[in-house]
Amino acid sequence: MGKKRKQREAETNGPAAKKEDAAASEERPKRTLLGWKEKPQENADAAATAPSFRNKEKVLVTCSRRINFRYRHLMLNVVSLLPHCKKDNKVESKEIKGATLNELVELRNCSSCLFFECRKHLDLYLWMAKCPNGPSVKFLVNAVHTMEELKLTGNHLKGSRPILTFSANFDKDAHWLLLKEMIIQIFGTPKGHQKSKPHHDHVFAFSIVDDHIWFRNYQIAVPHIESDKVPRGSLEKMTLVEVGPRFCLNPIKIFGGSFGGPTLYENPFYVSPNQIRALQKKRKTGKYAKKVKAKTRRKMHELSNPLEPDEFADMWKE
Amino acid sequence: MAVKRRGTAAFDEDEVPEDEMNDLGDEAVDSELESDEEEDEEDGEEDVKLPEAKANAVYDRDGIMDKLGDMSWPQDVPWIQRLTVDVDSQQEKEVDVNDDLARELAFYTQALEGTREAFGKFESMGLPFLRPSDYYAEMVKTDSHMEKVKSRLLAEKRNIEEAEERKKARESKKLAKEVQAQKQKERAKQKKDEIETVKKWRKQRQKSGFPENDKDGDLPLDFEDGKPFVKSGKKRPGVTPGDRSGGKSRQGVGKGRKGMDKKMKKRETRDSKFGFGGRKGVKKQNTAETTNDLRGIKQSNASGNKKRKR
Repeated sequence: MGKKRKQREAETNGPAAKKEDAAASEERPKRTLLGWKEKPQENADAAATAPSFRNKEKVLVTCSRRINFRYRHLMLNVVSLLPHCKKDNKVESKEIKGATLNELVELRNCSSCLFFECRKHLDLYLWMAKCPNGPSVKFLVNAVHTMEELKLTGNHLKGSRPILTFSANFDKDAHWLLLKEMIIQIFGTPKGHQKSKPHHDHVFAFSIVDDHIWFRNYQIAVPHIESDKVPRGSLEKMTLVEVGPRFCLNPIKIFGGSFGGPTLYENPFYVSPNQIRALQKKRKTGKYAKKVKAKTRRKMHELSNPLEPDEFADMWKE
Repeated sequence: MAVKRRGTAAFDEDEVPEDEMNDLGDEAVDSELESDEEEDEEDGEEDVKLPEAKANAVYDRDGIMDKLGDMSWPQDVPWIQRLTVDVDSQQEKEVDVNDDLARELAFYTQALEGTREAFGKFESMGLPFLRPSDYYAEMVKTDSHMEKVKSRLLAEKRNIEEAEERKKARESKKLAKEVQAQKQKERAKQKKDEIETVKKWRKQRQKSGFPENDKDGDLPLDFEDGKPFVKSGKKRPGVTPGDRSGGKSRQGVGKGRKGMDKKMKKRETRDSKFGFGGRKGVKKQNTAETTNDLRGIKQSNASGNKKRKR
């Protein structure tokens, strides 16, 4: 661990960062006493007592088997955006149970998990979980655009820390607040992470529209010469170029534990895509049923009012 | 398939925030009626919501707040750890989800405002935050991918330019046609006007009774660019088209004028015989009459030859 610290110190630059580090190094013996193998939740609590807080978030990113290529690409994009994540093998669909996933997260020494679950090659569900104490959220993922799409023209440093922007309606309700906190912890790159790079050249936008969380990733393009000095007008001239990926998260349920536990929230408006498809199918079948019904009705009508015999029927017979 | 667009459903409930949903009573009943009507119209919805909140949906507010308190970072964490910005830009109006442009614009403005705020904070803290132009490191997208992006942009630009050029050519063609038509029209009008003025001038001249002195200033001028040649209505029978003597030469043969001396007569006969004035070529050419006329040809054509031999 000590070795790692040295690397980190070498990597960080800037006077403020160094000061931070100095503060952290003062705190180090205390932490060692608490124990490194401690659960992150308690770690956070410990950090709360300590004057200096250190974010040691690690995210396990994995997916279920038989995932669609598109969704797999989305997952890989997320991996490239999060330098503090660990990517793991696909998980057998049989093993998509809380216990196995929890075990996996613990094995990989992670404190949170993003699990992409693809069902029927059609629907993508995203599990966002804080391990091991929870909470966890299950989302339905909609409107997926991956980074590979050519119309998303931006680019940014791999591993630079993103700025997280949230729309104001995240503060509207308790479950949104919880989701916001989870997103901050999972998507925010820890300061001074080994793989993270200095400078901030991209921004994540999370906003709630229509009770869905929409995600966008923009590159920040500012005309400038030096890294720390910005001419007055150039902040006004700042533009954003979208990098991608795009997706839209529809929260389904929030659980108290990680991958399980008591349900804290249930989306009252949620309709599963299966139900939607069933409804559409039903609508289509209705067409034929209607035709058959009309036919039988016509038959019944004809039987009930038979034509009277034609008086000229055998006029030309003889 | 994978890209699911949100449908055009515009349920009333969409705008209602969640906490209002919880104590939702008679409100839902009203909106249910409306949404039922809409449901019949919409087809092929990819992402629909329940028209009405599920009554038994779990919402453990206290549990959520407890969990939030458990998991969240301590309050005094410096901002540099979180790097979060709350942007209050959507407050004034709800964004229509199905209007792609408006939605994306809302996201963009949110990100832009957030970035401005964050950069302001960075600046006040005195931290370097912008990437220097000579800082090269691994990017999220590879160079080959960016090359593709660039080529696509260029191709798009080229397409647009080509389309514009085509459009311009088409328009200029149309314009040229119009100009041509205008010119022809103008020419015809000018011609007409000139004819008119000549007619007018003539009428005037007739009215004024032909002054002896025909040296009107505009007479030659009118002929110069007015009517080229006015054929007189008189027909002159027995005059060859090329004869400029006015048929006098022919007439002179048959009539024999009085008061003319012998010498003049002779002259006349000679003129009529050999031609005087007019195009020689036309008069000397063979016509159907002359070829059929065998009077001048002696039968002994061969004898003449013999003579020549001798």
